[in-house]
Amino acid sequence: MRHIISVLVENEFGVLARIAGLFSGRGFNIESLCVAPTTDPTVSRITLVTSGDDRVLEQINKHLNKLVNVIKVSDFSTVDHVERELVLVKVTADAKTRGEVLSVVNIFRGKVVDVSSESYVVEVTGTEDKIGAFIKLLRPFGIREVVRTGVVAMFRGSPVLAAAADEAPAPDPEGQEGRLAREGSEADFV
Amino acid sequence: MTSLPEAKRAERHPLAGTTMTGADMIVQVLADEGVNTVFGYSGGAILPTYDAIFRYNAAHTKDEEMRLVVPATEQGAGFMAAGYARASGKVGVFVVTSGPGATNCVTPIRDCHADSVPVVLICGQVPRAAMGTDAFQEAPVFNIMSACAKHVFLVTDETKIEATMRSAFELARSGRPGPVVVDVPRDVQLSQGLFQGVGQLQLRGYDERQRALNHAALPDGTAKDFFRLLGDSERPLIYAGGGVINGEAASELRAFAQRFNVPVVTTLLGIGAMDTTSELSLHMLGMHGTAYANYAVEDCDFLFAVGSRFDDRVAGKVKEFAPGAKIAHLDVDASEIGKVKGVDWAYVVDAKRGLAQLTRAGKGFRKDFSRWVKHVHDLKSQHPLNFNRESPLVQSEEVLAVLNEITKGDAIVSTGVGQHQMWAAQYLDFRSPRTFLTSGSMGTMGFGLPAAIGAQLANPGKLVIDVDGDGSIRMNLGELETLTTYDIPVKVLLLNNYGDGMVRQWQDLFYANRYSGSDKTLHKKDFVRAAEADGFGFVRRVTTRDELRGALEEFVKYDGPAFLEVITDQNAHVYPMIGPGMGYKDMITGKYITPRTEKDVAVDKNAGF
Repeated sequence: MRHIISVLVENEFGVLARIAGLFSGRGFNIESLCVAPTTDPTVSRITLVTSGDDRVLEQINKHLNKLVNVIKVSDFSTVDHVERELVLVKVTADAKTRGEVLSVVNIFRGKVVDVSSESYVVEVTGTEDKIGAFIKLLRPFGIREVVRTGVVAMFRGSPVLAAAADEAPAPDPEGQEGRLAREGSEADFV
Repeated sequence: MTSLPEAKRAERHPLAGTTMTGADMIVQVLADEGVNTVFGYSGGAILPTYDAIFRYNAAHTKDEEMRLVVPATEQGAGFMAAGYARASGKVGVFVVTSGPGATNCVTPIRDCHADSVPVVLICGQVPRAAMGTDAFQEAPVFNIMSACAKHVFLVTDETKIEATMRSAFELARSGRPGPVVVDVPRDVQLSQGLFQGVGQLQLRGYDERQRALNHAALPDGTAKDFFRLLGDSERPLIYAGGGVINGEAASELRAFAQRFNVPVVTTLLGIGAMDTTSELSLHMLGMHGTAYANYAVEDCDFLFAVGSRFDDRVAGKVKEFAPGAKIAHLDVDASEIGKVKGVDWAYVVDAKRGLAQLTRAGKGFRKDFSRWVKHVHDLKSQHPLNFNRESPLVQSEEVLAVLNEITKGDAIVSTGVGQHQMWAAQYLDFRSPRTFLTSGSMGTMGFGLPAAIGAQLANPGKLVIDVDGDGSIRMNLGELETLTTYDIPVKVLLLNNYGDGMVRQWQDLFYANRYSGSDKTLHKKDFVRAAEADGFGFVRRVTTRDELRGALEEFVKYDGPAFLEVITDQNAHVYPMIGPGMGYKDMITGKYITPRTEKDVAVDKNAGF
């Protein structure tokens, strides 16, 4: 199953490598990754998308929670959330196709952020699906380059993922533990 | 990010406000932490710190001195620090240079992490400006150690050296203990700064989780659930691991077991949590556990895991592990709950706190388990450990059984890894925690000798014995000389079967006796002469059974470093054995241990077991 995991960390070198190590050590690929400081410049927020066995991912989440520089961890996959990604696409747009490209961009509520005689750079935000659909529609015009930021996510409603204890708590980190305790599957070692 | 000094004026550090070098600050924090022994090997990038230790000792009396013990190799320093920590519960410290000095410490760091042993490793690093240039003796210590340690600090900001050192100690010993590496570039060691005398790094997430753990209160519902499970059971069993010893919870465990009359099996690392001579102790479970411990696991209907983690040497076939039992799990590490085996009850807390809370919460609990206790006592008397008593060749089991009669469970014993390690676990008694020191999870050959050195330095008055094998002792043989150099009165008992016995055992069982790489019959090493060359005052080789007891008595009594080699039967196997990936019902008991028959099982079943 696909998981979006957000991790608040001390904004220091080496933290990202240790987090990535928890995934690579189990042969998990990180499909997208986004890192930036929060309103508190000493705290960074890492959002990553990965997919794999749910039980192993719960184990990874618990191990994330053990890393000294990790402040909080949240897996968005089972809670109500919004997610967005931003993409820049450099697409061929000459005098003949310009209008058509523009109408696709408008349908996706995108913006043209750079124009040259034979290309546009356009910007679109949305879910991974929306961005996938957008890229698909532009493909016939000739895509020259694509860059995506990776997914970011936030809880819907009032819960927040925040470093300070006095802000509203993230929903139900304990629930997961209970679930795992009941369901722990029984892999055999050889 | 140093937190502001919170201490009141009166508690102000006498050196606060003094200008000193980074190296002096490192040594001052070590002194403040009560470190009296540092293990390590010098070199270019760590010279400023070695010099600071020298100057510290020159400025202090002999009593306040920070003893520096120099091993043959950095791995030795690591296992000495580990032995010191395992035997004392205090943080072990080792200090090495950059590059090869640091990479030689990867094995002890990983070993300490795997067995949850609190150590702090200080590595010199090339100067900041040279980092990343493939400088002489440069290695990417931060990256390498990140994968092995509980935490790694690379001190790039000289104003943080003092706080980083304090945090390193705090991290090493708190929560689930583990190794912390502090990598300090040479120019940071040389930089001048104001010593604060207080302050740690801000580690919001870790500190908050630690606070939550330290204030964990047993919820009423959780307590009720536990005693419902215990009350519903007829055959409860405690499965105690290293977490009991790391958590200083041996007396709480013993009190809990006594109070509710529940027998206890321990893991390899849990040995000593119970007094192995006590009524309720069934000794070790698992791959080479005692037959009676493993039968009890098969028979129990409620298994209470405390500070143990269902590892593959205990639960090789998870589905068949304690098949009839409800399972409760108490551990300081939330990530261990449900990792291997699903549980019916869990509580994340340190063993000391958790067991004390449960004992209190069960004040009114009454249930008579005496029939079950009698049953496990019967198992104990009907299926004791046993070995080939007829052979003219010396059996390792006999050596250890005789040693046990002499030491009576009061010695501190370290081991290498392999057959001798399992036999030591089986045949020796351990009356107190922190007396059996062994590389459990990593299984690092060569652990025994340096660990014994560290343990002896932490416990100067105690009898410390390294029970070693010929394969294992070779790996850190250079440390024999360290023993005599510092006149550390460790007793080295070498069980020499001319080969890697455990490998050979597997080759006997699973590889049709093809001894690929494990036979050392033709090796030329004369261990006795090696020990003599290294200056041992007591050196002896035993080749026959009749010399055994006398030699062991003299060896143990000898005042000073002693070396005793016993030539043992090359073809002996460790039994019981539960093969890899097998269930407890497939336990092989070998030729000399009486197994449980189908009939016994049927009789037990009828009796409700």
